[in-house]
Amino acid sequence: MRREGQLTPVTWGEALDAAVSALSGLRRGGKAIGVFGSARATNEENYLVARLARGALETGDLDSCLRNTYWPLARGIARGSGGRAPFGSLTDVEGSEVVIVFDGDLACSHPRAAFAVMRAVAQGAHLVTISCKRTQLARLAALHVAVAPGREQDVVAGLIASVVEAGGAEGGAEGVPEGWAREALAESAEELREAGQWYVQAERVSLLVAPEIVIGNSAEALGTAIGLLGRASGHLGRPGSVLLPLPVRWNLRGACEMGIAPDMLPGGRLLDDTAALGRLAEAWGREPAAAAGRDAAGMIDPVAGLVVVADDPPSVLRDGRAARERVAGLDCLVVLDAFMTATAAAAHVVLPVASHAENEGTCTSADGRVQRVRACTSPPGSARPGWQVLAELSARLGLPSDFGSAAAVLDEIRRVVAGYEGLDERALDESWGAVIPPQGDARPVESSPRFREAPRASGDASHLLALDGVFDWGSDPLVAQAPTLSRDSLSRRKLFAGGLVEMSSEDAKALGVRPGWPVRIKSRHGEVTLPVVVCQEVEPGLVLVPFAFREQVSDVLGGDDVVAVQVTRPAG
Amino acid sequence: MDSLFLPQVARILDVRDETPDTKTFRVVLRDRAAQDGFEFQPGQFVELSVFGYGEAPFCIASSPTRSECLEFTVRRAGQLTDALHRLGPGDEIGLRGPCGNGFDVAAAAGRDLLFVGGGIGLPPLRGLIWNVLDQRERFGHVTILYGARTPADLVYKDELKLWAERSDVEFLVTVDRAAPGWDGIVGMVPVLFDRIELRPSTSLVYVCGPPVMISFVIQDLLMRGFPEEAIISTLERMMQCGVGKCNHCAIGHRYVCRDGPVFSYSQIKELVE
Amino acid sequence: MEPVTAQVIAKDKVGEWIEQLMAEAEVIAPVLAHGGDEVFAAIRSPGQVLWEFTNPLHPPKQFLLPQTDPVVAIRRGSNRYELEAIVDERRRILLNVRSCDVTGLVFLQRMHTADLPDDTYVRRAAAVTVVCLACSQPCPLGFCICSAAGPFAREGYDVQLSDLGDRLLAEVGSERGGELLAAAGGLFRPASPEELARRHELEEQAKQMFGEQTCHFGSAMRRVSTGRVAEDLWARMADWCLECGACNFVCPTCYCFSVKDRHESDGWVRCRTWDSCQYAAFTREASGHNPREERGDRIKRRFFHKVSAQYYQRDGMVGCVGCGRCIEVCLGTTDMPAVVAAIRKGEWHG
Repeated sequence: MRREGQLTPVTWGEALDAAVSALSGLRRGGKAIGVFGSARATNEENYLVARLARGALETGDLDSCLRNTYWPLARGIARGSGGRAPFGSLTDVEGSEVVIVFDGDLACSHPRAAFAVMRAVAQGAHLVTISCKRTQLARLAALHVAVAPGREQDVVAGLIASVVEAGGAEGGAEGVPEGWAREALAESAEELREAGQWYVQAERVSLLVAPEIVIGNSAEALGTAIGLLGRASGHLGRPGSVLLPLPVRWNLRGACEMGIAPDMLPGGRLLDDTAALGRLAEAWGREPAAAAGRDAAGMIDPVAGLVVVADDPPSVLRDGRAARERVAGLDCLVVLDAFMTATAAAAHVVLPVASHAENEGTCTSADGRVQRVRACTSPPGSARPGWQVLAELSARLGLPSDFGSAAAVLDEIRRVVAGYEGLDERALDESWGAVIPPQGDARPVESSPRFREAPRASGDASHLLALDGVFDWGSDPLVAQAPTLSRDSLSRRKLFAGGLVEMSSEDAKALGVRPGWPVRIKSRHGEVTLPVVVCQEVEPGLVLVPFAFREQVSDVLGGDDVVAVQVTRPAG
Repeated sequence: MDSLFLPQVARILDVRDETPDTKTFRVVLRDRAAQDGFEFQPGQFVELSVFGYGEAPFCIASSPTRSECLEFTVRRAGQLTDALHRLGPGDEIGLRGPCGNGFDVAAAAGRDLLFVGGGIGLPPLRGLIWNVLDQRERFGHVTILYGARTPADLVYKDELKLWAERSDVEFLVTVDRAAPGWDGIVGMVPVLFDRIELRPSTSLVYVCGPPVMISFVIQDLLMRGFPEEAIISTLERMMQCGVGKCNHCAIGHRYVCRDGPVFSYSQIKELVE
Repeated sequence: MEPVTAQVIAKDKVGEWIEQLMAEAEVIAPVLAHGGDEVFAAIRSPGQVLWEFTNPLHPPKQFLLPQTDPVVAIRRGSNRYELEAIVDERRRILLNVRSCDVTGLVFLQRMHTADLPDDTYVRRAAAVTVVCLACSQPCPLGFCICSAAGPFAREGYDVQLSDLGDRLLAEVGSERGGELLAAAGGLFRPASPEELARRHELEEQAKQMFGEQTCHFGSAMRRVSTGRVAEDLWARMADWCLECGACNFVCPTCYCFSVKDRHESDGWVRCRTWDSCQYAAFTREASGHNPREERGDRIKRRFFHKVSAQYYQRDGMVGCVGCGRCIEVCLGTTDMPAVVAAIRKGEWHG
């Protein structure tokens, strides 16, 4: 804990006392406390985080840094598909005849999914990639559709239209808002018609959605549209077919399903779901706080205290700078982590917990398989299992938390978290995990999903500036341990301390700039001058900024992910 | 057999500023007998450990003819060199070596020698230059050409004066960009070739500097009739072990830390990757 | 090679033999881990040892070249540093190592004794006894026959066992192997000529079962060594590689490493850690320059190291033992037989 400005080793008792006393003090003073769960934590840990937040601290200010790269998209897909997706497994992808990938660069961000796609293509599948970059998968594709970030909705609409036109499924147009698809068909390109035909004619199809698709889009609306596409073709639910959004990090799906969200209860239940509230109340012995809270970006400023479990908001959140400043000025920052991240280094109390290799628990894969996590080694020093520390914290904060083991936490998860009730104990142990079926979502899609107005390049603002990626792998604590894996990001940061932009060689030539030369980038919000890196994968008309350098373009982006910009050579 | 990875402990004797981002460290092994027995060829390098920051390769910038201590000229470029720059006299570092093949000084006997250095490329040559000058009668004509971006970027400023003053050495220095107070030659290193007598049939040429500079200089020398085997340079690669095991510095089946870092141009051309 | 001496042990005596071995060294053998995976691990009882198995996914190189291998202890005293080499000479017996992995250990031994001998490796290896279990049939993905690395080992073992039904034949491959059997207190007896003949018969039968050879190194070696593989071919292959490094980690002949200092309370421990030449930053220099910036360059590097004549001449053997593990783990489609076929034909289809 922090004594006279320095983090000093203390006993567990002292540390817990200090944490509890500080948090309780804030509560008594009516000050807000926010809580972060994490894609780096097990289901048991995340569930106890949700329980700590809504049960012990009675707050809805509960989120994880990466939720908004996955969960809104997944919920949209659930809704648009009539509750029948996310569906299918990555193994099923290998056997697909047609694979459609909304790609960010799966080869980098989700190699397991890319592997499945490669297997499918090696066995003759038609691959359709849709992205703003000519990614590695795009080079393997039978059809690559270049799309500006923020405009993916057009491609989805076009695909729906062509699927419906090509016959789709019986009643495949059911659920697709009247007129919506037909308008889109009128404008859609020939290539989408062909893709639609492949799609309809195939027995087994896969639709994969990379996390980068949230850049420039309202994720839930886009997810809904993709869900509608899945429904329109009629493949959903057929063995061998797949519709999956892909989480950008290990247990992001599990974290979301355990309730790490400001606007949902565990199990993806709405805050006013009386049945879900009842089950939680019964398990916790009190009514859970059912108020909607603020999300990760929104809570950082107003809260006076934070409990952060296994994450590092300044390194992971989109607005890292604001997070960094605020984290330094909190009244109380309690961090549970296996690694001394920048956030842990700024904490008032650091509670060391076991890493994933030293932990018992479960995690939920992208395709909904709940798998056991087992300790293969003991945690070093006095580090303890995260579930144990969270239970102790909750108990000391007034919520009895009598869990003797991670298994006991899983038992409670089974009782209260929708989708996890039927978890087959044997399947957890013996096969590749116990699969959670799609949760069903009966909410109808009444009208066209409400898309954000996508920024368009026009006039002088002839280019689009967008973030490249939703996560900086260089910030991952495990990557930082490995000499070779960390060297790329360290080298880039050293060479381009002020940031960089990636553009196509065509654009660079047209501007008359060589690699390393500066360009001036101006939007209606502001401007910045940055060196250029020429990247073969970037489409002309697009300027990308690696997620690691997002802060250097924050003045130009002005809070958006994508903005129209004017790109010029600076004078002199 | 001793561990390939075990460094010896060395103490920093003193530190001299060469340029705003470059320092020369004079270092002696803590074990006196080991220092006295430390044998090396100019052009070889060592792996220096800055404890807590790791290890990195640095060429020995001093001559084996002056081996009371070892000298290293280090530019501040990253975490480890940053940490090294913060150390001073009395501080301890680790030292493992000598590594690599070094310059073949014996083969230079009787030959005319042309040294061409650019910027931070002078340190690997300096050890060889002083080795030659300390045994001057063994060698033919000695010409030293050196260039840097600006006058402030010249290293070994005091020694450059010594070389200029010697009658048995032809020494020319140039800068890419002049600064107030500079009344010497301005231009990139190849401009110096026209100001000296070149002896392509009897010379060995040693070229060190930034890769682009080496490339231009070698092309120039070839055009002026220097044989490929007579042009000698050094190659750099990312290194970890420095002893030919970790494979980071491999170019084809050659290892820069074992078969190099010194290579003739004809050897460089043969490198298959 | 005609075995110098061969002995035989009845299978129902093997447990007793292993008990004896466990009394004098750490015995490492293939065992079943939770979930049914075959892994090499130190055994607690002879009953754990697998005799019917394919081959663990991780080769036994981890016991001679650990993934994180402490090599130097750096201790910070009051005003001086003390450095000490870390030595591991623990007695180990590797039991039931397949011929491909035995050949892999021969390769690693050559790497670490050639040029500047690596004392850390050599001393650890000197304390390891290798007992090979020859293969009576090919494994599903293996092509050891193309590398002359199996199905029976030619060298590199202290003892080679072959399965004669109700008994095992044990060939002695070294002085240490002879001593090992001699110390077994009469559990072994000399092999009869019929038993020896049977062993040779098993080897011939196993070789025949390979059928069509899957990996022709010869012509691939010629092309790789003379620069006759188009750059464009490497680039296209590289699109089917995800640079996960799995091939390097499971390959019995891969030994690339990085060096990292791990912080301790009184200083640091300098460790050698496994590395992958497929990672982008493997060759990235402090200046930011990377001589192998493109993934195609890195794939080309891997296969030059494994298959070129230049390395074959330097090492005395080809850098692949045909164990088939890269085929199993590759997250893309760029395993050894696939790449060798592409090099030979000049074509790649993914």
